[in-house]
Amino acid sequence: MTDFAALQAAVLKGNRNDVKDIVQQAIDNQEDINAILDRGMIPAMREIGERFSRNEAYVPELLIAARAMQAGLTLLEPLIAASGRKTLGKVAVGTVKGDLHDIGKNLVAIMLKGAGYDVLDLGVNCDIGKFEEAVAQGASILACSSLLTTTMPYMKEVVEHFKGRKVKIIIGGAPVTQDYADEIGADGYGEDANGAVKIVDKLFQEA
Amino acid sequence: MSELTGKERISRQLKHLPVDRIGVFEAFWQYTMRNWENQGKVPPNACPVEHFGLDMLLCEPCNMRIHPQAQDQVISEDEDTVTLLDGNGATLRRHKKHDTTPEHVDFSIKERKQWLELAKPFLTADTATRLNREAYRKARQRAAEKGLFFCWVGVNVFELMHPICGHENMLLGMALDPEWIEDMVNTYSELILQLQQELFAAEGPPDGIWYWDDMGFRGRPFMSPDMYRELIMPAHRKTIDYAHSLGLPVIMHSCGFIEPLLPYMVEAGIDALQAIEIKAGMDLLRIDKQFGEKIALIGGLDARPIANNDLPGITRELESKIPIVKKNRGFIMHSDHSIPESTEYETYLYFKETGLKLGTY
Repeated sequence: MTDFAALQAAVLKGNRNDVKDIVQQAIDNQEDINAILDRGMIPAMREIGERFSRNEAYVPELLIAARAMQAGLTLLEPLIAASGRKTLGKVAVGTVKGDLHDIGKNLVAIMLKGAGYDVLDLGVNCDIGKFEEAVAQGASILACSSLLTTTMPYMKEVVEHFKGRKVKIIIGGAPVTQDYADEIGADGYGEDANGAVKIVDKLFQEA
Repeated sequence: MSELTGKERISRQLKHLPVDRIGVFEAFWQYTMRNWENQGKVPPNACPVEHFGLDMLLCEPCNMRIHPQAQDQVISEDEDTVTLLDGNGATLRRHKKHDTTPEHVDFSIKERKQWLELAKPFLTADTATRLNREAYRKARQRAAEKGLFFCWVGVNVFELMHPICGHENMLLGMALDPEWIEDMVNTYSELILQLQQELFAAEGPPDGIWYWDDMGFRGRPFMSPDMYRELIMPAHRKTIDYAHSLGLPVIMHSCGFIEPLLPYMVEAGIDALQAIEIKAGMDLLRIDKQFGEKIALIGGLDARPIANNDLPGITRELESKIPIVKKNRGFIMHSDHSIPESTEYETYLYFKETGLKLGTY
């Protein structure tokens, strides 16, 4: 019987070795893969995201939790593929053209992955062509990041380019606000990495 | 009160003493000045401090790279960006038209072992390669001639660590291997002090010290206040104490939302906080209320209406803040970060002149 509370605690504390041990033991005991993820690791990553939003956890705590979860995922990945488990959905994240900032975008990617999404990290300086490629690869949501006031207008170009299509566009970054998201017609705005997860949850629920 | 020089004004403001008007300083993007130059608004290679009559002159004379003489090697290049391997062993992709944080492509140093092998042995106070004495001497002399407040400028420990190993490796290290971080913090803070001692003994001290140490981003600092106190604050205290031992005030620049760290930064001894970045969540009026009697404040005026050439927006911003913050006598006018290239020359002049009119006592 897997101790899911212990697995959650190990992820929350960023204790990679404990996560590996518990996950390996669960695999050895033929535990349901979905249970390991849905009762153990994913709730822990969502909890660290909530703590992050409440300023009870900071980037170091978030990074070590993600690192611990990744250690467990590495053990699980062959089994996940064999089980045919579907992720919650595919999301592409990228910093828009003209902007090379990657820290915020990386945090969003980490949190989305931790929350159970399939994440395509498009990197920085992404033009519309890169976002198109992500859509061709099955991304249902495009998460666009920008740190510069001078690159924010490119988000509008992305929104306008995909207008009328099924793909949703969410935006975020230091100068970006809900008002700006409304102004350019984006489908959502994430105030921080955890906010991005919440808006992605909402958009997939509505789909 | 008769008109003060920049040096007199800033020196007095850092002590909250009466002045004729609030001080003024500013940072401009490289392409902002170049645009104005191309439009014939400023002379070629103009110094913004002298052109706009600002009160402070900064000089960054210390090279803190692991290999100070190493030239950046171009790894690849496209129309907009260039990827370089720098003297810290970091591979960074920079935008050709923006002076902002580059993309972190890769770092030679990711953990303690590589730090001990590839960095620490080379971080010695080799003044011949690390100090630009001539630049310091000339800037100091020019500041004295023009009556400007002259600052030695350098990067403090938080911002010295991440260029060699990247934010993610550094922040992971803070959680997983704090002794490694302490070793880096101690090494860099000692190096700062050794270089300052050597330089100030040979060339004379500045009027003040200005440290860059960006410790926040949108809505939060990179680390918890506890982690700041444990790992970074000792170096801040040490470097600030040294400046104070020479009678020099310390201005700390820190971008992002660093308000939760501010009580401890004040405890560490800062005399002024600079940037006060609104879009990250900082609020000049709130910070003035909480800390305005203890420290001087430089910045906190929203750059967005300036960038948008929105003159009524600039007026609203200045009128809503300057009459309040000038009361503590420690407010020095500055945007909340810098003046971007979309700003028209006349817009900046309007911002500065309107602000100084409101800031006259």
